[in-house]
Amino acid sequence: IMNAFGLIQIGLVLLCTTIISSHQCNHLPLQQGKVIENSLRLLDKMGKSFPQQCLREKMSFRFPKQVLQPGQKEIAKAAIEEIFHHIFYIFSKNLSLAAWDGTALDQFQNGLYQQIEQLESCVIKKHTRYCWSKEVSRLKLKKYFQKIDCFLKDKQHNLCSWEISRAEMRRCLQLIDKTTRKL
Amino acid sequence: QLWSKTVFPVDTIDGLSPDTSYCFQVQASLPAEAKEGLFSPVTCATTTHKAVKDLLCPTNLRVLGLDMEFQLLWDHQYPQPVTYNVQYLTGYFKRLPEDYSVKWLGVPGCASVTSRSCQVSSVITTTGFYYLRVQARAEGNKSCLSREVRVEPLKTNELGPPGVKLDLSDTLLHVQISPPGGPKGDFMSDNYGLSYRILYWKNSSNAEEDPRVKETKQTVATLTELTPQTLYCVKVQAISEFYNKSSAYSQEQCTHTPAEKTFPLIIFGTFVVALVAVLFMVLPLGFVVYQAYRKIKYVFFPSCQPPLNIEGFGGELCTSPYLAAPEEPVENCSVIESMITQEGNQIPLKDSQHSKQSSRDSGNYSNDDTTLGSKSSAETLGKELI
Repeated sequence: IMNAFGLIQIGLVLLCTTIISSHQCNHLPLQQGKVIENSLRLLDKMGKSFPQQCLREKMSFRFPKQVLQPGQKEIAKAAIEEIFHHIFYIFSKNLSLAAWDGTALDQFQNGLYQQIEQLESCVIKKHTRYCWSKEVSRLKLKKYFQKIDCFLKDKQHNLCSWEISRAEMRRCLQLIDKTTRKL
Repeated sequence: QLWSKTVFPVDTIDGLSPDTSYCFQVQASLPAEAKEGLFSPVTCATTTHKAVKDLLCPTNLRVLGLDMEFQLLWDHQYPQPVTYNVQYLTGYFKRLPEDYSVKWLGVPGCASVTSRSCQVSSVITTTGFYYLRVQARAEGNKSCLSREVRVEPLKTNELGPPGVKLDLSDTLLHVQISPPGGPKGDFMSDNYGLSYRILYWKNSSNAEEDPRVKETKQTVATLTELTPQTLYCVKVQAISEFYNKSSAYSQEQCTHTPAEKTFPLIIFGTFVVALVAVLFMVLPLGFVVYQAYRKIKYVFFPSCQPPLNIEGFGGELCTSPYLAAPEEPVENCSVIESMITQEGNQIPLKDSQHSKQSSRDSGNYSNDDTTLGSKSSAETLGKELI
Protein backbone atom coordinates (compact mmCIF):
# COMPACT_ATOMS: atom_id res chain seq x y z
CA ILE A 1 0.00 0.00 0.00
CA MET A 2 2.90 2.29 0.86
CA ASN A 3 4.47 1.50 -2.49
CA ALA A 4 1.30 2.46 -4.30
CA PHE A 5 1.11 5.70 -2.34
CA GLY A 6 4.71 6.50 -3.12
CA LEU A 7 4.10 5.84 -6.79
CA ILE A 8 1.12 8.15 -6.79
CA GLN A 9 3.22 10.87 -5.20
CA ILE A 10 5.94 10.42 -7.79
CA GLY A 11 3.34 10.44 -10.51
CA LEU A 12 1.94 13.69 -9.18
CA VAL A 13 5.35 15.30 -9.05
CA LEU A 14 6.15 14.21 -12.60
CA LEU A 15 2.82 15.53 -13.77
CA CYS A 16 3.55 18.85 -12.17
CA THR A 17 7.01 19.14 -13.69
CA THR A 18 6.00 18.52 -17.29
CA ILE A 19 4.60 21.96 -17.87
CA ILE A 20 4.98 24.13 -20.92
CA SER A 21 4.86 27.80 -20.07
CA SER A 22 3.34 30.17 -22.57
CA HIS A 23 5.17 32.94 -24.41
CA GLN A 24 3.55 35.63 -22.28
CA CYS A 25 4.77 34.08 -19.07
CA ASN A 26 8.35 33.82 -20.23
CA HIS A 27 8.71 37.57 -20.31
CA LEU A 28 6.97 38.07 -17.01
CA PRO A 29 10.12 38.21 -14.84
CA LEU A 30 11.22 41.46 -16.50
CA GLN A 31 7.89 43.13 -15.89
CA GLN A 32 7.42 41.61 -12.47
CA GLY A 33 10.79 42.87 -11.36
CA LYS A 34 9.70 46.38 -12.31
CA VAL A 35 6.38 46.01 -10.50
CA ILE A 36 8.09 44.87 -7.31
CA GLU A 37 10.63 47.68 -7.55
CA ASN A 38 7.84 50.21 -7.95
CA SER A 39 5.82 48.64 -5.16
CA LEU A 40 8.73 48.85 -2.73
CA ARG A 41 9.32 52.47 -3.66
CA LEU A 42 5.66 53.37 -3.20
CA LEU A 43 5.49 51.47 0.09
CA ASP A 44 8.26 53.70 1.38
CA LYS A 45 6.67 56.82 -0.08
CA MET A 46 3.29 56.14 1.54
CA GLY A 47 4.35 57.02 5.05
CA LYS A 48 7.17 58.33 7.13
CA SER A 49 9.86 56.32 8.91
CA PHE A 50 8.78 53.75 11.45
CA PRO A 51 7.50 55.53 14.61
CA GLN A 52 9.48 54.87 17.78
CA GLN A 53 6.43 54.35 19.96
CA CYS A 54 5.38 51.36 17.87
CA LEU A 55 8.56 49.41 18.55
CA ARG A 56 7.05 47.99 21.72
CA GLU A 57 4.17 46.40 19.85
CA LYS A 58 6.39 44.81 17.22
CA MET A 59 5.53 41.21 16.51
CA SER A 60 7.32 38.49 14.62
CA PHE A 61 5.11 36.93 11.97
CA ARG A 62 7.64 34.49 10.50
CA PHE A 63 7.14 34.47 6.78
CA PRO A 64 7.39 30.87 5.46
CA LYS A 65 10.49 31.25 3.29
CA GLN A 66 10.27 27.70 1.97
CA VAL A 67 7.34 28.85 -0.16
CA LEU A 68 9.74 30.73 -2.40
CA GLN A 69 12.33 28.02 -2.67
CA PRO A 70 10.60 25.14 -4.40
CA GLY A 71 12.40 23.11 -6.99
CA GLN A 72 10.10 24.13 -9.83
CA LYS A 73 9.89 27.64 -11.24
CA GLU A 74 6.22 27.37 -12.13
CA ILE A 75 5.19 26.62 -8.57
CA ALA A 76 7.17 29.64 -7.38
CA LYS A 77 5.25 31.80 -9.86
CA ALA A 78 1.94 30.51 -8.53
CA ALA A 79 3.12 31.21 -4.98
CA ILE A 80 4.07 34.77 -5.89
CA GLU A 81 0.64 35.29 -7.47
CA GLU A 82 -1.03 34.22 -4.26
CA ILE A 83 1.20 36.46 -2.14
CA PHE A 84 0.24 39.45 -4.31
CA HIS A 85 -3.41 38.57 -3.77
CA HIS A 86 -2.96 38.56 -0.02
CA ILE A 87 -1.04 41.84 0.08
CA PHE A 88 -3.65 43.46 -2.16
CA TYR A 89 -6.40 42.27 0.13
CA ILE A 90 -4.69 43.49 3.30
CA PHE A 91 -4.20 47.02 1.96
CA SER A 92 -7.70 47.30 0.56
CA LYS A 93 -9.64 48.48 3.61
CA ASN A 94 -9.70 50.29 6.96
CA LEU A 95 -6.80 52.53 6.10
CA SER A 96 -8.16 55.75 7.62
CA LEU A 97 -6.12 55.58 10.83
CA ALA A 98 -2.91 54.90 8.95
CA ALA A 99 -2.97 58.42 7.52
CA TRP A 100 -0.82 57.53 4.52
CA ASP A 101 -0.31 59.40 1.26
CA GLY A 102 -3.44 58.51 -0.72
CA THR A 103 -1.84 58.85 -4.15
CA ALA A 104 1.09 56.60 -3.31
CA LEU A 105 -1.26 54.03 -1.78
CA ASP A 106 -3.50 54.09 -4.86
CA GLN A 107 -0.55 53.61 -7.16
CA PHE A 108 0.77 50.79 -4.99
CA GLN A 109 -2.52 48.91 -5.06
CA ASN A 110 -3.02 49.63 -8.73
CA GLY A 111 0.35 48.25 -9.73
CA LEU A 112 -0.15 45.19 -7.57
CA TYR A 113 -3.57 44.53 -9.01
CA GLN A 114 -2.42 44.86 -12.60
CA GLN A 115 0.29 42.31 -11.93
CA ILE A 116 -2.30 39.95 -10.42
CA GLU A 117 -4.43 40.33 -13.53
CA GLN A 118 -1.42 39.64 -15.74
CA LEU A 119 -0.57 36.52 -13.79
CA GLU A 120 -4.16 35.30 -13.90
CA SER A 121 -4.40 35.69 -17.64
CA CYS A 122 -0.87 34.46 -18.19
CA VAL A 123 -1.66 30.89 -18.96
CA ILE A 124 -0.20 29.40 -15.81
CA LYS A 125 -1.55 26.00 -16.53
CA LYS A 126 -4.30 24.48 -14.47
CA HIS A 127 -1.83 21.77 -13.65
CA THR A 128 0.46 24.24 -11.91
CA ARG A 129 -2.38 25.82 -10.00
CA TYR A 130 -3.57 22.43 -8.92
CA CYS A 131 -0.10 21.41 -7.79
CA TRP A 132 0.36 24.64 -5.93
CA SER A 133 -2.97 24.26 -4.17
CA LYS A 134 -1.84 20.91 -2.82
CA GLU A 135 1.48 22.18 -1.48
CA VAL A 136 1.91 21.99 2.27
CA SER A 137 3.78 25.29 2.37
CA ARG A 138 0.72 26.99 0.89
CA LEU A 139 -1.16 26.44 4.14
CA LYS A 140 1.74 28.02 6.03
CA LEU A 141 1.50 31.02 3.73
CA LYS A 142 -2.23 31.37 4.34
CA LYS A 143 -1.62 31.10 8.08
CA TYR A 144 1.00 33.84 7.90
CA PHE A 145 -1.33 36.30 6.22
CA GLN A 146 -4.20 35.38 8.48
CA LYS A 147 -1.97 36.20 11.45
CA ILE A 148 -1.37 39.67 10.05
CA ASP A 149 -5.07 40.15 9.34
CA CYS A 150 -6.01 39.14 12.90
CA PHE A 151 -3.30 41.36 14.31
CA LEU A 152 -4.76 44.36 12.47
CA LYS A 153 -8.29 43.50 13.58
CA ASP A 154 -7.25 43.08 17.22
CA LYS A 155 -5.59 46.48 17.23
CA GLN A 156 -8.59 48.00 15.43
CA HIS A 157 -6.38 49.03 12.54
CA ASN A 158 -4.62 51.71 14.56
CA LEU A 159 -1.51 53.53 13.38
CA CYS A 160 1.02 51.24 15.04
CA SER A 161 -0.57 48.05 13.74
CA TRP A 162 -0.56 49.48 10.23
CA GLU A 163 3.07 50.58 10.46
CA ILE A 164 4.13 47.16 11.70
CA SER A 165 2.19 45.50 8.89
CA ARG A 166 3.71 47.84 6.34
CA ALA A 167 7.22 46.96 7.52
CA GLU A 168 6.35 43.28 7.33
CA MET A 169 5.03 43.62 3.78
CA ARG A 170 8.20 45.40 2.75
CA ARG A 171 10.22 42.45 4.00
CA CYS A 172 7.92 40.10 2.12
CA LEU A 173 8.26 42.01 -1.16
CA GLN A 174 12.03 42.09 -0.81
CA LEU A 175 12.06 38.31 -0.55
CA ILE A 176 9.92 38.05 -3.64
CA ASP A 177 12.26 40.46 -5.42
CA LYS A 178 15.21 38.19 -4.67
CA THR A 179 13.31 35.15 -5.92
CA THR A 180 12.11 36.88 -9.10
CA ARG A 181 15.66 37.80 -10.04
CA LYS A 182 16.65 34.15 -9.86
CA LEU A 183 13.73 32.96 -11.98
CA GLN B 1 -25.17 32.73 -30.06
CA LEU B 2 -23.09 32.64 -26.86
CA TRP B 3 -20.72 35.29 -25.66
CA SER B 4 -18.37 35.15 -22.70
CA LYS B 5 -16.79 38.03 -20.80
CA THR B 6 -14.83 38.43 -17.60
CA VAL B 7 -16.44 41.14 -15.54
CA PHE B 8 -15.94 42.99 -12.29
CA PRO B 9 -18.52 42.89 -9.47
CA VAL B 10 -20.05 46.09 -10.89
CA ASP B 11 -19.61 46.34 -14.61
CA THR B 12 -21.07 47.36 -17.96
CA ILE B 13 -21.54 45.32 -21.10
CA ASP B 14 -21.71 47.44 -24.22
CA GLY B 15 -21.87 46.83 -27.91
CA LEU B 16 -25.33 45.27 -27.72
CA SER B 17 -27.83 45.62 -30.55
CA PRO B 18 -30.87 47.83 -29.84
CA ASP B 19 -34.32 46.37 -29.30
CA THR B 20 -32.98 42.89 -28.61
CA SER B 21 -33.55 40.51 -25.75
CA TYR B 22 -30.45 39.19 -24.02
CA CYS B 23 -30.07 36.57 -21.30
CA PHE B 24 -27.23 36.38 -18.77
CA GLN B 25 -25.61 33.84 -16.48
CA VAL B 26 -22.70 34.43 -14.11
CA GLN B 27 -20.06 32.05 -12.82
CA ALA B 28 -17.58 32.82 -10.06
CA SER B 29 -14.06 31.41 -10.15
CA LEU B 30 -10.95 31.30 -8.03
CA PRO B 31 -8.15 31.25 -10.60
CA ALA B 32 -5.44 30.97 -8.00
CA GLU B 33 -6.85 27.60 -6.95
CA ALA B 34 -8.08 26.57 -10.41
CA LYS B 35 -11.60 26.42 -9.06
CA GLU B 36 -14.78 27.35 -10.91
CA GLY B 37 -18.22 27.64 -9.38
CA LEU B 38 -21.67 26.79 -10.67
CA PHE B 39 -23.55 29.14 -12.97
CA SER B 40 -26.17 31.46 -11.49
CA PRO B 41 -29.80 31.28 -12.63
CA VAL B 42 -30.53 32.93 -15.97
CA THR B 43 -31.67 36.58 -16.08
CA CYS B 44 -33.01 38.23 -19.22
CA ALA B 45 -33.35 41.87 -20.31
CA THR B 46 -34.31 43.72 -23.48
CA THR B 47 -32.35 46.62 -24.90
CA THR B 48 -34.07 49.80 -26.07
CA HIS B 49 -33.14 51.96 -29.01
CA LYS B 50 -30.99 55.07 -28.97
CA ALA B 51 -32.80 58.12 -27.62
CA VAL B 52 -32.30 61.50 -29.19
CA LYS B 53 -30.69 62.91 -26.10
CA ASP B 54 -27.99 60.32 -26.42
CA LEU B 55 -26.49 62.38 -29.19
CA LEU B 56 -25.11 64.41 -26.34
CA CYS B 57 -22.82 61.57 -25.29
CA PRO B 58 -19.30 61.66 -26.69
CA THR B 59 -18.32 58.54 -28.58
CA ASN B 60 -15.28 56.75 -29.91
CA LEU B 61 -12.98 57.52 -27.02
CA ARG B 62 -9.40 56.68 -27.77
CA VAL B 63 -6.06 57.33 -26.16
CA LEU B 64 -2.93 58.08 -28.11
CA GLY B 65 0.38 57.79 -26.36
CA LEU B 66 3.77 58.80 -27.69
CA ASP B 67 6.86 58.70 -25.50
CA MET B 68 4.68 58.57 -22.38
CA GLU B 69 2.65 61.65 -23.35
CA PHE B 70 -1.01 60.61 -23.42
CA GLN B 71 -3.87 62.35 -25.14
CA LEU B 72 -7.54 61.43 -24.98
CA LEU B 73 -9.60 62.05 -28.12
CA TRP B 74 -13.30 61.64 -28.73
CA ASP B 75 -15.99 62.30 -31.31
CA HIS B 76 -19.07 64.34 -30.81
CA GLN B 77 -21.85 65.59 -33.06
CA TYR B 78 -24.15 68.00 -31.33
CA PRO B 79 -25.71 71.11 -32.81
CA GLN B 80 -25.25 73.31 -29.76
CA PRO B 81 -22.04 74.34 -27.98
CA VAL B 82 -20.82 71.85 -25.40
CA THR B 83 -18.18 71.79 -22.68
CA TYR B 84 -16.41 68.62 -21.61
CA ASN B 85 -15.09 67.23 -18.33
CA VAL B 86 -12.61 64.41 -18.43
CA GLN B 87 -12.64 62.01 -15.49
CA TYR B 88 -10.39 59.13 -14.55
CA LEU B 89 -10.63 56.12 -12.26
CA THR B 90 -7.68 54.22 -10.80
CA GLY B 91 -8.24 50.73 -12.14
CA TYR B 92 -8.08 48.58 -9.04
CA PHE B 93 -11.17 50.13 -7.45
CA LYS B 94 -13.31 48.03 -9.73
CA ARG B 95 -11.94 44.90 -8.12
CA LEU B 96 -13.00 45.90 -4.62
CA PRO B 97 -16.51 45.12 -3.38
CA GLU B 98 -17.22 48.76 -2.48
CA ASP B 99 -19.08 51.14 -4.73
CA TYR B 100 -16.46 52.82 -6.85
CA SER B 101 -18.70 55.39 -8.51
CA VAL B 102 -17.55 57.96 -5.96
CA LYS B 103 -13.91 57.33 -6.85
CA TRP B 104 -14.04 59.00 -10.25
CA LEU B 105 -11.84 62.09 -10.21
CA GLY B 106 -11.44 64.97 -12.63
CA VAL B 107 -8.28 65.15 -14.70
CA PRO B 108 -6.48 68.43 -13.93
CA GLY B 109 -6.47 70.73 -16.93
CA CYS B 110 -9.36 68.93 -18.59
CA ALA B 111 -12.32 70.51 -16.82
CA SER B 112 -14.78 72.51 -18.96
CA VAL B 113 -12.78 72.24 -22.16
CA THR B 114 -14.32 72.92 -25.53
CA SER B 115 -11.99 70.96 -27.78
CA ARG B 116 -12.48 67.25 -28.36
CA SER B 117 -9.14 66.25 -26.91
CA CYS B 118 -7.17 66.66 -23.73
CA GLN B 119 -3.75 65.86 -22.28
CA VAL B 120 -4.06 63.23 -19.56
CA SER B 121 -0.36 62.46 -18.91
CA SER B 122 -0.50 63.93 -15.41
CA VAL B 123 -2.69 61.13 -14.07
CA ILE B 124 -1.45 58.23 -16.19
CA THR B 125 1.53 56.73 -14.39
CA THR B 126 3.18 53.42 -15.25
CA THR B 127 1.96 51.53 -12.25
CA GLY B 128 -1.28 49.83 -13.14
CA PHE B 129 -4.15 50.80 -15.41
CA TYR B 130 -6.85 53.46 -15.60
CA TYR B 131 -10.31 54.16 -16.95
CA LEU B 132 -11.21 57.44 -18.64
CA ARG B 133 -14.59 58.92 -19.51
CA VAL B 134 -15.91 62.23 -20.79
CA GLN B 135 -18.89 64.13 -19.53
CA ALA B 136 -20.48 66.51 -22.01
CA ARG B 137 -22.49 69.48 -20.75
CA ALA B 138 -24.89 71.46 -22.88
CA GLU B 139 -27.26 74.32 -22.14
CA GLY B 140 -30.25 73.56 -19.99
CA ASN B 141 -28.33 71.41 -17.52
CA LYS B 142 -28.20 68.52 -19.92
CA SER B 143 -25.27 66.21 -19.53
CA CYS B 144 -24.19 62.77 -20.59
CA LEU B 145 -21.38 60.49 -19.62
CA SER B 146 -19.56 58.67 -22.35
CA ARG B 147 -18.50 55.04 -22.17
CA GLU B 148 -15.27 54.26 -20.38
CA VAL B 149 -12.07 53.46 -22.10
CA ARG B 150 -9.40 51.34 -20.40
CA VAL B 151 -5.82 52.57 -20.57
CA GLU B 152 -2.78 50.42 -19.85
CA PRO B 153 0.04 52.93 -20.12
CA LEU B 154 2.87 50.71 -21.30
CA LYS B 155 0.64 48.90 -23.79
CA THR B 156 -1.06 52.02 -25.12
CA ASN B 157 2.08 54.07 -25.39
CA GLU B 158 3.94 54.05 -28.69
CA LEU B 159 7.68 54.46 -29.04
CA GLY B 160 9.09 57.48 -30.75
CA PRO B 161 12.30 57.43 -32.79
CA PRO B 162 15.57 57.37 -30.84
CA GLY B 163 18.27 60.03 -31.15
CA VAL B 164 21.37 59.24 -33.23
CA LYS B 165 24.90 60.69 -33.25
CA LEU B 166 27.78 59.52 -35.42
CA ASP B 167 31.41 59.47 -34.37
CA LEU B 168 34.42 58.61 -36.56
CA SER B 169 37.75 57.06 -35.63
CA ASP B 170 40.11 55.55 -38.25
CA THR B 171 38.07 53.00 -40.14
CA LEU B 172 35.48 52.56 -37.41
CA LEU B 173 32.15 54.33 -37.24
CA HIS B 174 30.62 54.69 -33.78
CA VAL B 175 26.89 55.18 -33.43
CA GLN B 176 25.65 56.79 -30.22
CA ILE B 177 21.98 56.17 -29.54
CA SER B 178 19.84 58.05 -27.06
CA PRO B 179 16.54 56.40 -26.09
CA PRO B 180 13.26 58.00 -27.25
CA GLY B 181 11.33 60.34 -25.03
CA GLY B 182 14.06 62.82 -24.21
CA PRO B 183 14.09 63.25 -20.42
CA LYS B 184 11.82 60.22 -19.98
CA GLY B 185 14.21 58.17 -22.10
CA ASP B 186 15.88 56.25 -19.30
CA PHE B 187 12.51 55.51 -17.76
CA MET B 188 11.20 54.11 -21.02
CA SER B 189 14.35 52.17 -21.72
CA ASP B 190 14.06 50.59 -18.30
CA ASN B 191 10.39 49.65 -18.49
CA TYR B 192 10.36 48.44 -22.07
CA GLY B 193 13.70 46.65 -22.10
CA LEU B 194 14.58 48.48 -25.31
CA SER B 195 16.86 47.15 -28.01
CA TYR B 196 17.88 48.97 -31.19
CA ARG B 197 18.08 48.09 -34.87
CA ILE B 198 20.65 50.02 -36.89
CA LEU B 199 20.35 50.30 -40.67
CA TYR B 200 23.37 51.55 -42.60
CA TRP B 201 24.23 51.71 -46.30
CA LYS B 202 26.57 53.26 -48.86
CA ASN B 203 25.07 56.40 -50.29
CA SER B 204 26.80 56.44 -53.66
CA SER B 205 25.19 57.66 -56.87
CA ASN B 206 26.17 54.71 -59.07
CA ALA B 207 25.41 51.46 -57.21
CA GLU B 208 22.49 50.92 -54.86
CA GLU B 209 23.59 48.60 -52.10
CA ASP B 210 21.36 46.62 -49.77
CA PRO B 211 21.37 48.24 -46.34
CA ARG B 212 23.14 46.28 -43.64
CA VAL B 213 21.48 45.62 -40.32
CA LYS B 214 22.97 45.56 -36.83
CA GLU B 215 20.97 44.82 -33.71
CA THR B 216 22.11 45.82 -30.24
CA LYS B 217 20.87 46.25 -26.72
CA GLN B 218 23.49 48.88 -25.92
CA THR B 219 23.28 52.57 -26.65
CA VAL B 220 26.67 52.55 -28.37
CA ALA B 221 27.47 50.46 -31.43
CA THR B 222 30.47 50.23 -33.74
CA LEU B 223 30.19 49.62 -37.47
CA THR B 224 33.12 47.77 -38.98
CA GLU B 225 34.20 46.65 -42.43
CA LEU B 226 33.52 49.96 -44.05
CA THR B 227 35.18 50.99 -47.27
CA PRO B 228 37.24 54.16 -46.87
CA GLN B 229 36.41 57.47 -48.53
CA THR B 230 32.71 56.66 -48.92
CA LEU B 231 29.54 58.35 -47.81
CA TYR B 232 27.62 56.16 -45.37
CA CYS B 233 24.13 56.85 -44.02
CA VAL B 234 22.67 55.49 -40.77
CA LYS B 235 19.19 55.32 -39.23
CA VAL B 236 18.06 53.63 -36.02
CA GLN B 237 14.84 52.10 -34.71
CA ALA B 238 13.92 51.29 -31.08
CA ILE B 239 12.28 47.92 -30.37
CA SER B 240 10.56 46.45 -27.33
CA GLU B 241 10.43 42.71 -27.65
CA PHE B 242 8.12 42.06 -24.72
CA TYR B 243 5.50 44.62 -25.69
CA ASN B 244 5.95 43.86 -29.39
CA LYS B 245 6.48 47.50 -30.24
CA SER B 246 8.83 49.23 -32.62
CA SER B 247 9.37 52.90 -33.16
CA ALA B 248 9.66 54.82 -36.39
CA TYR B 249 13.16 55.18 -37.79
CA SER B 250 15.20 58.14 -36.71
CA GLN B 251 16.32 60.76 -39.21
CA GLU B 252 19.13 59.65 -41.50
CA GLN B 253 22.62 60.72 -40.50
CA CYS B 254 25.36 60.60 -43.11
CA THR B 255 29.13 60.86 -42.87
CA HIS B 256 32.27 60.25 -44.96
CA THR B 257 34.70 57.55 -43.91
CA PRO B 258 38.36 58.70 -43.96
CA ALA B 259 41.09 57.57 -46.39
CA GLU B 260 43.27 54.62 -45.61
CA LYS B 261 46.53 55.33 -43.82
CA THR B 262 49.91 53.81 -44.78
CA PHE B 263 49.08 50.86 -42.73
CA PRO B 264 52.06 48.50 -43.39
CA LEU B 265 54.68 51.13 -42.48
CA ILE B 266 53.24 51.55 -39.03
CA ILE B 267 53.25 47.82 -38.48
CA PHE B 268 56.87 47.46 -39.62
CA GLY B 269 58.03 50.36 -37.47
CA THR B 270 56.29 48.99 -34.42
CA PHE B 271 57.87 45.60 -35.05
CA VAL B 272 61.42 46.96 -35.27
CA VAL B 273 61.04 49.04 -32.14
CA ALA B 274 59.65 46.08 -30.26
CA LEU B 275 62.48 43.83 -31.44
CA VAL B 276 65.15 46.29 -30.28
CA ALA B 277 63.45 46.75 -26.94
CA VAL B 278 63.28 43.01 -26.37
CA LEU B 279 66.95 42.56 -27.26
CA PHE B 280 67.93 45.27 -24.82
CA MET B 281 66.01 43.56 -22.08
CA VAL B 282 66.75 39.91 -22.81
CA LEU B 283 70.56 40.07 -23.30
CA PRO B 284 71.50 41.63 -19.95
CA LEU B 285 69.01 39.36 -18.20
CA GLY B 286 70.59 36.34 -19.82
CA PHE B 287 74.05 37.46 -18.79
CA VAL B 288 72.99 38.00 -15.19
CA VAL B 289 71.37 34.59 -15.05
CA TYR B 290 74.52 32.91 -16.41
CA GLN B 291 76.76 34.59 -13.82
CA ALA B 292 74.42 33.59 -11.03
CA TYR B 293 74.54 30.01 -12.26
CA ARG B 294 78.29 29.94 -12.19
CA LYS B 295 78.51 31.31 -8.67
CA ILE B 296 75.97 28.86 -7.36
CA LYS B 297 77.80 25.99 -9.00
CA TYR B 298 81.11 27.13 -7.47
CA VAL B 299 79.70 27.46 -3.95
CA PHE B 300 77.47 24.45 -3.66
CA PHE B 301 78.81 22.00 -6.24
CA PRO B 302 82.55 22.61 -6.67
CA SER B 303 84.51 20.39 -9.07
CA CYS B 304 87.15 18.15 -7.53
CA GLN B 305 89.90 18.31 -10.15
CA PRO B 306 93.17 19.27 -8.46
CA PRO B 307 95.60 21.47 -10.40
CA LEU B 308 97.71 19.45 -12.84
CA ASN B 309 101.04 20.17 -11.09
CA ILE B 310 99.94 18.39 -7.89
CA GLU B 311 99.75 14.62 -8.18
CA GLY B 312 98.65 11.81 -6.01
CA PHE B 313 95.39 13.10 -4.62
CA GLY B 314 93.21 10.91 -6.72
CA GLY B 315 89.49 11.10 -6.93
CA GLU B 316 88.61 12.08 -3.40
CA LEU B 317 85.25 13.18 -2.30
CA CYS B 318 85.79 16.88 -1.64
CA THR B 319 83.55 19.27 0.05
CA SER B 320 82.86 22.92 -0.55
CA PRO B 321 85.21 25.27 1.22
CA TYR B 322 82.25 27.46 2.24
CA LEU B 323 80.13 24.81 3.77
CA ALA B 324 80.77 23.23 7.17
CA ALA B 325 83.34 20.40 6.95
CA PRO B 326 82.36 17.01 8.22
CA GLU B 327 83.60 16.24 11.71
CA GLU B 328 87.03 14.62 11.93
CA PRO B 329 87.54 11.71 14.28
CA VAL B 330 88.95 12.97 17.57
CA GLU B 331 90.79 10.93 20.24
CA ASN B 332 90.24 11.61 23.87
CA CYS B 333 93.59 12.39 25.46
CA SER B 334 94.43 12.86 29.12
CA VAL B 335 97.65 13.76 30.92
CA ILE B 336 99.08 11.08 33.32
CA GLU B 337 101.00 12.38 36.36
CA SER B 338 104.72 11.50 35.95
CA MET B 339 108.25 11.58 37.77
CA ILE B 340 108.82 15.23 37.06
CA THR B 341 107.03 16.34 40.25
CA GLN B 342 109.39 14.35 42.64
CA GLU B 343 112.71 15.91 41.48
CA GLY B 344 111.33 19.35 41.56
CA ASN B 345 110.62 19.03 45.33
CA GLN B 346 114.31 18.82 46.42
CA ILE B 347 115.39 22.13 45.06
CA PRO B 348 113.24 24.31 47.38
CA LEU B 349 114.73 22.44 50.47
CA LYS B 350 118.22 23.39 49.40
CA ASP B 351 117.81 26.96 48.31
CA SER B 352 115.30 28.52 50.74
CA GLN B 353 113.85 27.30 53.96
CA HIS B 354 110.56 29.27 53.93
CA SER B 355 109.13 28.06 50.58
CA LYS B 356 106.26 25.62 50.58
CA GLN B 357 106.68 21.97 50.05
CA SER B 358 104.29 20.56 47.62
CA SER B 359 105.14 16.96 48.11
CA ARG B 360 105.30 14.69 51.04
CA ASP B 361 108.47 13.09 49.96
CA SER B 362 111.03 13.10 52.64
CA GLY B 363 113.98 13.43 50.40
CA ASN B 364 115.20 9.90 50.68
CA TYR B 365 116.28 9.90 47.15
CA SER B 366 118.85 12.62 47.49
CA ASN B 367 121.15 13.10 44.56
CA ASP B 368 124.02 15.00 46.30
CA ASP B 369 126.53 12.24 45.74
CA THR B 370 125.88 12.08 41.99
CA THR B 371 128.00 13.69 39.30
CA LEU B 372 127.83 17.33 38.35
CA GLY B 373 125.88 16.61 35.17
CA SER B 374 122.89 15.14 36.87
CA LYS B 375 122.83 17.84 39.54
CA SER B 376 122.81 20.51 36.96
CA SER B 377 120.03 18.75 35.18
CA ALA B 378 117.97 18.62 38.38
CA GLU B 379 118.58 22.31 38.91
CA THR B 380 117.52 23.08 35.43
CA LEU B 381 114.38 21.13 36.01
CA GLY B 382 113.71 22.85 39.28
CA LYS B 383 114.17 26.25 37.75
CA GLU B 384 111.81 25.35 35.11
CA LEU B 385 109.27 24.28 37.66
CA ILE B 386 109.63 27.46 39.74
